Amino acid sequence: MEDSSPANSRPSHLWAIHRLSPFGGTDIQFFDWEGIKQGAFIGLGNYRDLFTLEPFRGMFWNAFGHNILYFVIQMIVQNGIAFMLALILYQKIRGMEFFKIAYFLPRLLSVIVVGFLWKLILNPNYGALNILLGKFGLESLQKAWLGDPDTALIAIILVNCWFGIGFAVLIFLAGLQAIPHELIEAARLDGARGLTLIRKIMLPLMVPSLMIMTVLTFIQSFEAFELVYAMQGSQGEPYRSTDTLAVYFYRLAFGGGSGDSTAVGLGSALAVVLFIFIASITAVLLKLINKKQIDL
Amino acid sequence: MKRMGKAWLAAIIVCLTIVAAACSQDEETATGEKDDKVTLTIGSWRTEDTEGYKKVIEAFEKKNPEINVEFKPSKNTEYNTILNTALKSGEGPDIIHLRPYAPGIALADGGYLEPLDGVGGLDTFTDEALSASKGSDGKQYGVPINMSTTQVFYNKKIFKELKLEEPKTWDEFIEVNEKLKDGGYVPLALGTKEGWLLSLAHGIFGPAVYGGEDFVAKIQKGEKNFTSKEFVQSIKAMDDLKEYFPENYEGVGMEDMRTMFFTEKAAMFPLGSWEIEVVRGMNPDLDFGYFPMPQQNGGEPAVTAWVDGSYAVNANSKHKEEAKKFVEFMTTEEFGELFTNEFKMISAIPGITSEDELVNSLGKAITESSTPYMMVIHFAEGNPTTKATFETELQGMYLGDQSPEEVAKKVQESAKSWYKPFQ
Repeated sequence: MEDSSPANSRPSHLWAIHRLSPFGGTDIQFFDWEGIKQGAFIGLGNYRDLFTLEPFRGMFWNAFGHNILYFVIQMIVQNGIAFMLALILYQKIRGMEFFKIAYFLPRLLSVIVVGFLWKLILNPNYGALNILLGKFGLESLQKAWLGDPDTALIAIILVNCWFGIGFAVLIFLAGLQAIPHELIEAARLDGARGLTLIRKIMLPLMVPSLMIMTVLTFIQSFEAFELVYAMQGSQGEPYRSTDTLAVYFYRLAFGGGSGDSTAVGLGSALAVVLFIFIASITAVLLKLINKKQIDL
Repeated sequence: MKRMGKAWLAAIIVCLTIVAAACSQDEETATGEKDDKVTLTIGSWRTEDTEGYKKVIEAFEKKNPEINVEFKPSKNTEYNTILNTALKSGEGPDIIHLRPYAPGIALADGGYLEPLDGVGGLDTFTDEALSASKGSDGKQYGVPINMSTTQVFYNKKIFKELKLEEPKTWDEFIEVNEKLKDGGYVPLALGTKEGWLLSLAHGIFGPAVYGGEDFVAKIQKGEKNFTSKEFVQSIKAMDDLKEYFPENYEGVGMEDMRTMFFTEKAAMFPLGSWEIEVVRGMNPDLDFGYFPMPQQNGGEPAVTAWVDGSYAVNANSKHKEEAKKFVEFMTTEEFGELFTNEFKMISAIPGITSEDELVNSLGKAITESSTPYMMVIHFAEGNPTTKATFETELQGMYLGDQSPEEVAKKVQESAKSWYKPFQ
């Protein structure tokens, strides 16, 4: 087990660097931009504007909050359910292979397809969800899921959980299967059952896969873009309630809808901030993994 | 087994090599053959017009056999990104479909476009049409292609069934809405999920309240601004109309609106002239017309009009002369007629008539009684643009997070950051 987790951790390092480094390497961020025309050198002016000038400041913190919510819900719902599913599958139930594949299936679809599919399901007037609610006499619960700022972001995050759960199940299952069988047998002989077995034996021995999943979920939540874009477009509609940092970056750097203006300089500044943030938190998390491992 | 695996791998590599070789060969012969011919590319966001442009290009190539033209559109929402990236690296299509007003002019001012000095036929256009692609230096950079209008489309069958007439005054318009609602129809197919539809709808209903062109002229002089009573009133009027929107309107987007209209669940559809062909394609039997928006102050009912696109020449093109020939062709009546019949859109060339009655009648309405789409023509600047700010804030209003006064205040703040007359 000791050599399995550093190997696991390397891809997440590379992933973060690969995703954002093109913006770190150029000087776009230090210039004033008027549309696509490069203006004067303004040093760190773009960074200052990003954090002090309205509406940029407001939009940044609004999106940042959404990213945190994205992370928290994914950790609880996606990874929580995935862990339970992995435990069930670990019991070698009948049809285990089938379930493993079934949980993983959504992952094989393109995110754009997933977004489109769920947009249809969540459509307020002819979507499957509202029709289903109607059939069960729950008309009062019917609503415009993606049009209401209170539910739009949560709906997207839950779709993301549905999409990502299979991958988490596989990681957890691999973690469980890597625990030496004798250890669990021994614990059983000593009288450990159910929750105690999970808490005292399985969880501590699964720390590497739990941490890896945390790191991956963290990176994914703070880069959340495709699904939000596919379901709600680049404006974070409705009323900025689904804005994330990556969508905000896209809007700044490339302009939103047709004929919208761009702010390339601000956009690259934001990309750099995002990169530094993701990279440093990831580094801390990976340090934690290594520490935990020595404890083993 | 292992040997089998290697054999497969080898076979795949061979296949890939052959495909790659075939591709490269293709390109070689392609460029080799056309050595004596110049090939021009057109970049555009109108992927749906690819078939139509084939005919336009055919007509041009007949007259200019030495020039070969290719229409290479990209997806509407990605066009700006693709184009800007290409232009920044000194590439891009020879002929560029230009977004109207501020975004297009920004390209001209950035030095990416060739001024159209010496291109004939530009004088056939009205000054308003030319202004959509006139650089800040006063030079003309684009040939206006089409005019777009926004107005209220209505289902003639439903109107007949409920014995309704096209409204002539604002009060009659509200009355029509009430009667449609009582009749079990959705009066206005308009949802608030997509922000751009809100500034578009305000482009239709707003001028009827704030008084059209006169108010816009005062805005341009800085005599009035967005916190003026007239403009706030126009936002309030928009807010009041939500009574006639479909159920769950906060989750209703473009596709849903159109579906409601062509499935005859909704009676009125406030949208642009470009939807005529789409709606016809979805339900060819739908009998629909339009009415210009009646004004609150008793003025002439008007449609909202603006230039929706121009064609420009890339300053980095290797074939500027040939490209200029093509845009010159776009000023001719021959092109105008081809265009309006193929695309069911209103040509920017005055006096061109189409086979489509609805398009014709809208074309006539532009010259007779129209009002400018203020947000597109004058306020598509700033970052985020004042138009985008307006859209977001209107959305907030429909969700109950903003009052009309606050919307007006936010829009004014945004405009004040860059709009000269307000500073």
